[in-house]
Amino acid sequence: MATLELDSITKHFDDDGKTIVAVDDASIDIDDGEFLVLVGPSGCGKSTTLRMIAGLETITNGELRIGDRRVNEAKPRDRDIAMVFQSYALYPHMTVRENMSFGLEESTDLSNDEIAERVESATDTMGINDLLDRKPSELSGGQQQRVALGRAIVREPEVFLMDEPLSNLDAKLRAQMRTELQRLQEDLDTTTVYVTHDQTEAMTMGDRIAILNDGVLQQVATPLEAYHTPANQFVAGFIGEPSMNFFDVDLEGETVVGGGLDYPVSGDVRATLTTDSLVLGIRPQDIELVDAVESGRDVAVTVDVVEPMGDESNVYLSLPDTREGETFIANVDGRTPVEAGDDVVARIPEEAVHFFDRQTGEALRNREFEGDADVDLSL
Amino acid sequence: MREKLATLARTLFRRRRARTDGGEATANPSGGFLSDQFVSSLPYWLPAFLIMGLAVYGAIFWNFLLSLTDFQQFGNPDYGHLDLGMYAKAFGDQVFLGALQNTFALLVSFTLCCLVVGLLIAILVDQKIRYENTFRTIYLLPMALSFVVTAQFWLWMYNKQNGVVNIILGAFGLGPYEWIGNPALVLGAVVFALIWQFSGYAMVVYLAGLRAIPTEQFEAARVDGATTLRMYWRVIIPQLKGATISASVVLMVFALKAFDFLYSLSGSYYPPKVGHPRDDDGPAGVQRRPPRVRGGDRHHAVRARARHHRTLSRLPIPGR
Repeated sequence: MATLELDSITKHFDDDGKTIVAVDDASIDIDDGEFLVLVGPSGCGKSTTLRMIAGLETITNGELRIGDRRVNEAKPRDRDIAMVFQSYALYPHMTVRENMSFGLEESTDLSNDEIAERVESATDTMGINDLLDRKPSELSGGQQQRVALGRAIVREPEVFLMDEPLSNLDAKLRAQMRTELQRLQEDLDTTTVYVTHDQTEAMTMGDRIAILNDGVLQQVATPLEAYHTPANQFVAGFIGEPSMNFFDVDLEGETVVGGGLDYPVSGDVRATLTTDSLVLGIRPQDIELVDAVESGRDVAVTVDVVEPMGDESNVYLSLPDTREGETFIANVDGRTPVEAGDDVVARIPEEAVHFFDRQTGEALRNREFEGDADVDLSL
Repeated sequence: MREKLATLARTLFRRRRARTDGGEATANPSGGFLSDQFVSSLPYWLPAFLIMGLAVYGAIFWNFLLSLTDFQQFGNPDYGHLDLGMYAKAFGDQVFLGALQNTFALLVSFTLCCLVVGLLIAILVDQKIRYENTFRTIYLLPMALSFVVTAQFWLWMYNKQNGVVNIILGAFGLGPYEWIGNPALVLGAVVFALIWQFSGYAMVVYLAGLRAIPTEQFEAARVDGATTLRMYWRVIIPQLKGATISASVVLMVFALKAFDFLYSLSGSYYPPKVGHPRDDDGPAGVQRRPPRVRGGDRHHAVRARARHHRTLSRLPIPGR
């Protein structure tokens, strides 16, 4: 167990003489035993970052430390890490037992008995004792996943690295493995870096999440901080399902105008806005559907589409005077009687509104959040 | 009576009609062996089928049948009493047994060495090196050459006085050896030359196999702590089983076909000298067929062929 420090890590790829920046100046300090999730859209550099930690890619600039040891130049085998691959990368010609022993045989001086003992105990943990003598091709996807995890934990490394390990599983199994993986990580208390593009995995699993976009680290925060106080518009849009609604607005006197909205802003909030060219953000969960317009923060809208999900519904609303298909989403109680074509009123409460600088995307004003972990996400 | 006749005629007529119907039905069965498609496609495949069947498989069978008779040279074989006498004679013949043993030794050593060399080159070429295509072509090129041509190359290189092999060995104070003339060395020399010619093929097959292994396998092994050598030995090479099998099959076939090479190399191969009644640099008749592997005349095959090519090149080409 150890801390893991990424100090201004940069990675350049050479592509026909052109330099492509895959990861740009990323600094993250990961505590001992912490579960850090690296999240971002495809091609954002999250896998490259993980592979640099693993030693599968060289680091162009910056320093990587495991414990207090600089490991930039260390080979993967000298870093004391174990990695779980998206494709599992089980050795097809070896049985489960051989797959799990391989790492110990190659990287340690343990005797065969000790190796067998550790493999047994890891298979106990993963519940795969009865698969020990099978080949990977004889296992289901979920079982292969367990073997891949077992192969990592049997090594008892300083750091676990996981590259989208659940993305090849079906939805139900994924949810189950998510919980199991979290429990396992808590039990083992091993520093873990977990890469995913799935913001649900990021929110539910991580102690902290690091959001990357275009090779640039956007924010490192606890899931709730990232959700409630995003550092910029990218994080606000990336975290949360369905995504936050954005309206391009301009500050005109005491109201912001644009995208079909004419929304009054109180003095306190106005004081935080350093520019007139803004983006107003509101989470679908914060929009309420009410019966009548009572203030300037209620807007008359038409229901475009309703997506019932059971306990809740995603209602696509269109403002008057906007183009066809231009909608925003409200997430309401599943029993709310709304249908496509209904005329309703959407209430946008000011305390839940975010404002971003339209040029830089930087968050100027976030909703009120005390950083209390007990905050009810659904509101 | 008339009524009876009429009834009979009706019955017959009906029956005939029924039969006719039946006949039509057999012409259009719902899936019998002699279906319409089968019959109408006959002209397209039957001739080829018959030629192939008789000329190849029929001939093989006939050959086998002949081998059971005591038939020699030309004439009518006596199929009266078939026995395995010829086979017994062959297996009692020291020359035949020696050839069998040599063929087997060549087959095994050539195939194994070719696989090992091919695998090593494939692994080296797979290291994302520059000019990979060029290397691949260079290694594969010898395979495209005729056995007669490569045999001549090696004949020169193995030459006792001037051959480059002996010159290089001479630099280390070894030799010179008579590679082709010495029965103790000739098999090794031949195997080495054949490996040079065919290891490129093994390389291509292995390279395709290596490319088919997902990168994650290499990475997983490295993260698991394996050194490069151990990674290849324990993770990668076992996964090349399919490539090994397909390469060995083809290499074994080549090993069995190496006859041309050996014949050209040992110099006992003389193409018929049609149009060249006088050969100014060789003795005539029986003496032109020296025992295998004797120094002097082994250039004949190639020389004869070269002459043949010269003749061809001197032919007037229309339009020139």
